[in-house]
Amino acid sequence: MTGPADVIFYVLAALTVGSAIFVATLPNIIYAAVALLFTFCGVAGLYVLVSADFLAATQVLVYVGGILVLIMFAVFLSNRISSVKLSNPVHFRLPAAAICLTLFGVLAYTAISPAFVLKQEITYQPTTARIGELLMTRYLLPFEVASVLLLAALIGAALLSRPDRPDIPRPDMEEPK
Amino acid sequence: MPLGNLESLRYFLPELAITTTILLLIVVHVVGKNRRSPAAALLALVGTGTALLFAWMTPAGEGMGLFEGMVVLDGFAVFFKVLTALATAIVIFMSIDCLELADRTQAEYYVFLLSVLLGMFLLSSATDIVMVYLALELVSIPSYLLAGYLKGKASSTEASMKYVVYGATASGVMIYGFSLLYGMTGSTQISEIGRVLTMGTVPLPALLAAVMVTVGFGYKIAAVPFHMWSPDVYEGAPTPVTAFLSVGPKAAGFAILVRFFYTVFASPGDADGMWKLSSSVDWPFLFAVMSAVTMTVGNLIAINQRNVKRLLAYSSIAHAGYMLMGFVMLSTAGLKAILFYLVVYLFMNLGAFYVVVLVENGSRSEDISHFSGLGRRAPLAAVSMAVFLFALTGIPPFSGFIGKVYLFAEVIHQGVYWLVLVAGINSVISLYYYARILKVMFLEDPTHTGELSVAFVPKVMLAILVVPTLLLGIYWEPVIRIAESSVRILTN
Repeated sequence: MTGPADVIFYVLAALTVGSAIFVATLPNIIYAAVALLFTFCGVAGLYVLVSADFLAATQVLVYVGGILVLIMFAVFLSNRISSVKLSNPVHFRLPAAAICLTLFGVLAYTAISPAFVLKQEITYQPTTARIGELLMTRYLLPFEVASVLLLAALIGAALLSRPDRPDIPRPDMEEPK
Repeated sequence: MPLGNLESLRYFLPELAITTTILLLIVVHVVGKNRRSPAAALLALVGTGTALLFAWMTPAGEGMGLFEGMVVLDGFAVFFKVLTALATAIVIFMSIDCLELADRTQAEYYVFLLSVLLGMFLLSSATDIVMVYLALELVSIPSYLLAGYLKGKASSTEASMKYVVYGATASGVMIYGFSLLYGMTGSTQISEIGRVLTMGTVPLPALLAAVMVTVGFGYKIAAVPFHMWSPDVYEGAPTPVTAFLSVGPKAAGFAILVRFFYTVFASPGDADGMWKLSSSVDWPFLFAVMSAVTMTVGNLIAINQRNVKRLLAYSSIAHAGYMLMGFVMLSTAGLKAILFYLVVYLFMNLGAFYVVVLVENGSRSEDISHFSGLGRRAPLAAVSMAVFLFALTGIPPFSGFIGKVYLFAEVIHQGVYWLVLVAGINSVISLYYYARILKVMFLEDPTHTGELSVAFVPKVMLAILVVPTLLLGIYWEPVIRIAESSVRILTN
């Protein structure tokens, strides 16, 4: 029953969940970001295991290579980010724990319930060509819409991050409440 | 059979018009010398108008799948396209008149506005969960930017930030729900998902999926308990944006809410104009409770508000609650009532915000004290505001009354008396805070002297908004007929 694939699965799952716990609990945000690296890599490994090779590569490229580096940069470039006292105090520990446990129970029950269409065996085939084909045929519209979305987001990022032009008067700061 | 990609383009003219305008706006921004010239606004207006015309004129027919089944062209989608394009056009006029926005670069603002419009078009016609998700994000992400458009104003930035955090959480939960549905049915097409679920399913995962999807859609229509973002966002965002968010994305949210739940979790029943649940998930009851809580919370908190923008934010939460009543009836008449109410709501709510913009231009504040003596300072604006507020309350002979009549009548017809009772009490509560604005406008002496001058264009726009608000209270036949035929197509 337990083949090498299962062993690999449990190792990857432990890596993912374990490092995710560190992300949530580590007080130092830089350590948390490093822990996030292992979470992303673990998820990429899980993708490989279910024969989603393209997705795994994307996961590494985009999340590990892009987003994580971006987070790191944001952390390093922000002044005093590591000395900021976290402003969300921990209240209602018990009710929160109860809700989280209930939610976990429901999600876990759902995951193992027989509701899902199961694939009997995984066939390891390259998926990239097929995905490319689908993006140009069946999913052409979502593909194009995503480009409009990204365009708007890019313009927005430029707008938010650029300094106000000298020809545009600086708005008064917020009036006192 | 859905049409292929190339053949679909012919039926995709409204969306193409919007996309072209977005690109042209960028060119205008790069080429143009003056970043604050009204050219961008006019271009956006032309683009929206063209999209509206194309949407109006497309032959809707029986519902035709486009782009390999990603979106559908039917009367229901056309109804919402026209509605949202109309709202956008009015908001563009409002933005031109808004002094707060006048000293900002213009082109980007309209790029975001039109991106949201494109998102709303796609959201009201999406039939594939991939498309639903993308369209929802296309509505959301430019909305975050619009809310924070007053860079440097703390409350605007706060609004944007809160909106992002809530929005990301809501769409994350929603997509988890989608993944459950995909896992259960093996399809991303909502009609196919609905068909497989009819054949029987495990109750709890289906319920969980329904609840998670509700988080995403509930956030868009700002229904309690997913409304927490809206008061701060509505208060901090530039007023035209607030008006836009409270009408456009809310309408599009209702469109996808209805299409999704009436396709996935319900199917046309045996009796004419009735629907039946297609799985064991009792979502109508959940939504009925949500509806009652939404209108009550919205109205009760609105009572204490001194900022008129914030007050209207809570009032718009309450109105989403009223409209949800029509959603849970599982009947064509209930859906028809929602569609009609949305039309009425568009005019009266945008109208009320228009007056807020005009008062704000004079005083740079939305505090209710700045409305005092408005009856003398700007009679036309004050009288228009009175009309809009009466309509929002639902007093005859204004259009809001007819809207409520259709909603309430259907709830009574289905015998859900407790819900009608809650809605009735809520209407009375809402009278209190709407009437307070009236009292301040007409009975109190002006704290700020001097006439509030209203330019010609805002006057015309107010008239354009007042006329349907009054007219739909007396002669509403054509609109209700359009609403009815739009809903009927959904049954096929």
